[in-house]
Amino acid sequence: MEQAHDLDLMRLDTLIEEKFDNNPEALIMVLQEVNAEYNYVPQEALRYVAEKLDIPLSTVYSIATFYKAFHLEPRGKHIISQCLGTACHVRGAVRIKDKIESLLSIKAGETTEDMRYTFESVRCLGCCGLGPVVKVDEDVYSNVERDHVDKILEKYQ
Amino acid sequence: MKIRTLQDLEDIKNKTLHSLYHPDGIKVNFGMAACGIAAGAKKAMAKAQEEWPASGNGLRFAQTGCLGLCQEEPLVDILEPGAPRIVYKHITEEEISELINARLKGDLKEKWALGQFRDPRSVLEEDTPNPIPEGLLAKNIPILEEIPFYSKQLKVALRNCGYLDPDNIEEYIARGGFFALHGCLADLQPTDIIEIIKASGLRGRGGGGFPTGIKWESCRKVHGEEKYAICNADEGDPGAYMDRSILEGDPFSVIEGMIIGAYAIGSHEGYIYVRNEYPLAVRRLIGAIKKAEAYGLLGPDIIGSGFAFSIRISTGAGAFVCGESTALMSSLEGKVGRPRAKYVHTVEKGFHDSPSTLNNVETWANVPVILAKGADWYASLGTERSKGTKVFSLVGKVRNSGLVEIPMGTPLREIIFDMGNGILDGRKFKAVQTGGPSGGCIPEELIDTPVDYEQLTNLGSIMGSGGMIVMDQDTCMVNLARYFMEFLVEESCGQCVPCREGLKRLLQVLTDICEGNGREEDLGLLEELSALLRDVSLCGLGKTAPNPVMSTLRYFRDEYEAHIRDRQCPALVCRGLVPAPCQMACPAGIDIPSYVALIGHARYKDAIELIREDNPFPWVCGLICVHPCEKACRRGEIDAPISIKDLKGFAAEYALKTAGYEKKPVASHREEKVAIIGSGPAGLTVAYYLAREGYPVTVFEAESVPGGMLSLGIPEYRLPRRIIAREIESIKALGVEIKTNTAIGKDLTLDDLRGQGFAAFFLGIGASKGFGLNIEGESDFDGVIDCISFLKKVNLSEEVNIGQRMVVVGGGYSSMDTSRTCIRLGVPEVSIVYRRSKDEAPASKEEIQAAQEEGVRIHFLTIPKRVKGRDGKVTHLECMKADLGKQDESGRRRPVPVKGTEFDIEADSIILAIGQSVDLGLIIEAREIGVTSRSTFQVEPETLQTDMPDVFAGGDCVTGPSTVIEAIAAGKKAAKSIHRYLRGESLEEKIYHPVKRMKVEEIEVIKEERETLKRPDMPLLPVEKRKSTFEKAELGLTEEMARNEAKRCLRCDLHG
Repeated sequence: MEQAHDLDLMRLDTLIEEKFDNNPEALIMVLQEVNAEYNYVPQEALRYVAEKLDIPLSTVYSIATFYKAFHLEPRGKHIISQCLGTACHVRGAVRIKDKIESLLSIKAGETTEDMRYTFESVRCLGCCGLGPVVKVDEDVYSNVERDHVDKILEKYQ
Repeated sequence: MKIRTLQDLEDIKNKTLHSLYHPDGIKVNFGMAACGIAAGAKKAMAKAQEEWPASGNGLRFAQTGCLGLCQEEPLVDILEPGAPRIVYKHITEEEISELINARLKGDLKEKWALGQFRDPRSVLEEDTPNPIPEGLLAKNIPILEEIPFYSKQLKVALRNCGYLDPDNIEEYIARGGFFALHGCLADLQPTDIIEIIKASGLRGRGGGGFPTGIKWESCRKVHGEEKYAICNADEGDPGAYMDRSILEGDPFSVIEGMIIGAYAIGSHEGYIYVRNEYPLAVRRLIGAIKKAEAYGLLGPDIIGSGFAFSIRISTGAGAFVCGESTALMSSLEGKVGRPRAKYVHTVEKGFHDSPSTLNNVETWANVPVILAKGADWYASLGTERSKGTKVFSLVGKVRNSGLVEIPMGTPLREIIFDMGNGILDGRKFKAVQTGGPSGGCIPEELIDTPVDYEQLTNLGSIMGSGGMIVMDQDTCMVNLARYFMEFLVEESCGQCVPCREGLKRLLQVLTDICEGNGREEDLGLLEELSALLRDVSLCGLGKTAPNPVMSTLRYFRDEYEAHIRDRQCPALVCRGLVPAPCQMACPAGIDIPSYVALIGHARYKDAIELIREDNPFPWVCGLICVHPCEKACRRGEIDAPISIKDLKGFAAEYALKTAGYEKKPVASHREEKVAIIGSGPAGLTVAYYLAREGYPVTVFEAESVPGGMLSLGIPEYRLPRRIIAREIESIKALGVEIKTNTAIGKDLTLDDLRGQGFAAFFLGIGASKGFGLNIEGESDFDGVIDCISFLKKVNLSEEVNIGQRMVVVGGGYSSMDTSRTCIRLGVPEVSIVYRRSKDEAPASKEEIQAAQEEGVRIHFLTIPKRVKGRDGKVTHLECMKADLGKQDESGRRRPVPVKGTEFDIEADSIILAIGQSVDLGLIIEAREIGVTSRSTFQVEPETLQTDMPDVFAGGDCVTGPSTVIEAIAAGKKAAKSIHRYLRGESLEEKIYHPVKRMKVEEIEVIKEERETLKRPDMPLLPVEKRKSTFEKAELGLTEEMARNEAKRCLRCDLHG
């Protein structure tokens, strides 16, 4: 695990106390906050959260690896999420996935070397009437065709 | 303000109805659920706000939820005093300004309308008068409630989605919200509520379908300090999104339902467990809870009743298994979401080991309506055991995709074909998948089934949360089963062995089948594994996980078998089993990549025998095929396509020079005799395949030599007679009898042959009657002849006398053949006149170049105008130059004559090579058999059967002049049909596509070498020698060239 981030432990501490009242049951949501802040969950944060909430590190680690929302490796500046829900699947999502993979020369789940893009396939974004759907950061693109992919990615540098 | 009395609610309602239904100016509602935003609603609204910033002009902009028809998003709904209330479709930032400007000017923009509301009230607003008086309706705009997508819907759970601002609690109240809650708290005991819910027949909408009233009753009866009312908003089924739509479009309905439920079971604390993939839903829920607290609808003293209840939100972190009740509660406690065995139910020991009632979003949203309108009303909807309405997400390959809410019991056919308006792009419906990864696929023959919990379970699927994914012929059912297993392998919590390991094995077996490595025994293995998972998994995820496999095996077993036995994916989806582009492009469907690879491995004999499975004329095609395969070759996109044709020629030559072709095995003798009229490539191909099936086949040929156009229409230097003879010999070796000099029609009729015991006929008489030019002087002088008669004479070594100056008209292969033949006959001046340019010519570039090298002068863009002559003999062809105009039906640019460019070409003979038609006079019964307006035989295109059931036809006499490979393809098709006909089987073939016959290992070659190798040039006889001899002009590839060429192949058959 990479350790490049300067983790603001003060902020994390305040967050756990004020928003979550030091409640160990809030562990998942605390980790979601960390994940949202850094795009992943740095190892240091795992350790700090474990100590602060008085939960064994092994338990924290098991949560962080059980749920899909958490990432233990740093991710790119832009997150490309390709929906592979059933409706998108039958409308040819795999072809879009192939196209993105070949354009970025990475596989789903990986990050480009320049840390610009992370590409993930996700299960259903809930826009099933508009498939195939691709989400880049917070923008959702509907009825995507292979030829659209270049243009979409160009917007995110 | 805190609401304390019924009057408070009434006041808010009355105050809000005005702005909700009767705004003072124009009010524009933007459908701002996640789907609308994805389609561009947010940008459209921002654009409108930018252009009309202050509301001084009477304009108001508002957000609503989703009206369900996602296909037409972004939807914009416009209210205006005295005008109909119209919903517009596809309004993005590009259209919005034009739309609003039009409306400001009083133009209703009818053309952009999806429809107009007749009555936008919800089921809870009986006391409110319809805000749209009858007289207000516009004539030219469809009524929204009458368009097929909406006409069968009854909105209960979706009653407010798209009709109000989801952040506005007062609008919710105005549409009848919180009155049911007030009624419960004021007038009903908790047990009364439970009785009502029980009597209504409401069942869980999240999947299981457990009766909600019974769940509540059990929870109420358990003793416990704390009880919890929990909402499952972890909508994880891919393809289902109704919960998202409700949370985003009407969050208060869920909150009201939960408060009522909490009051009924005696809970004071509630949780909503919502997916973090739905950020907008989370935001709207948080806002809604705060508003409800502010209005005294959540908190310590709800509507002054003394009842206290609060709701917290917990966001899921992406785990499908958390849809399972025990896993969800474990996750709520901040733990890993692993299910536990339910020997004690969660209604007794759930969250924090306390009694807990868990219902999903849609279930909770139904509750207020049931309390408001009564159990009887609700129970009057639906079927005997499934009451009320259900929301389905109708998605996939359906024209109208979106959310529909319909009474239980509506047949699938009505949902898909009436509301959904059938299948996208006119494709064929194949199956509908319901219930997500725990559900199954329902095939076409069962889509008249009414939809309810029991019926879907009987079909091997489930209701699930209501996903309904429509699939067409392009969906591979094995691949779909594999897709769900892949999903479930990732989502299995890993706790119990059957699910964790069993799913992996299921996935592995399915992957093998999809990649072409399936074994016959795999189907049994899939069934065995599925049964095991179903019986012994710990939780619902594992128990229902095999459903996608079991249901596809049940209804689409033939598709599994095609993958395993025939190595075919009928939907052309599974990459390893989809033929390569070259094979798809070959009319005869030859397994090209495999034979190319075999040549690369120096297995020439295997290569030729592989080709001969699909084509009885490999050497003929190796020399003269027009090779559509090479146009499709992907290597062509990089540098030049593989020399597929020449490699075939190489393998054929090699085989015939060494051991010769193998005799193909022949099935045991069958009685039915088959007569084939015409011994061209189509007829002989039929003979080849039927003889192999064991039929006695006789071929009748009017000419003195067999081979049809191969022997008579193509010159020797391109296709030597001995090569044709060798390949015809190999067909005769199968027992085929060829009777030459026997013209059917003249010497014998079909009826005569029937009398001789022939049971089926194939007409392959070709198209040999030349077209005329229809120009002045054409029939006035000797010396104007058609190319086929000319080539026939040359090929039969008859004498021809064409003089010293020859003009050939046409730009196709026969034009090149004719002119190059003339050169070889020693004619000093040979020209070609062709009305289009070189790029449009049907003949290949190589042929044109060879003709020019040999001395043929080609006049492109030249139109013949008149034949001139003297003393009854042709002397000149008068022509005009042409320019290229617009494209014609053939997609080529039409030549347009240029005035004043007339010129003469001297000619002793003019040979017309501009196409041929069928000489129907050859067949006496032609009219009874059926002919088209183009004077070709009329056949069923898929079966090649004519109006006479025992007569089949194919090749040029059906298509008009075409290629050898098309004729061979027709022969293959006809042979299949005749065999089926004689066996009394249906002629219809479900899906035809080429067969991948082998999987040949890749040739070992380093990538750089593959990239740098060049396509070889075909070695030719020296030009000078070519001009004076009919020897084969193409010398054929050398072995080294051929093996190197095979290395260039990208092997699309293996890599997709």
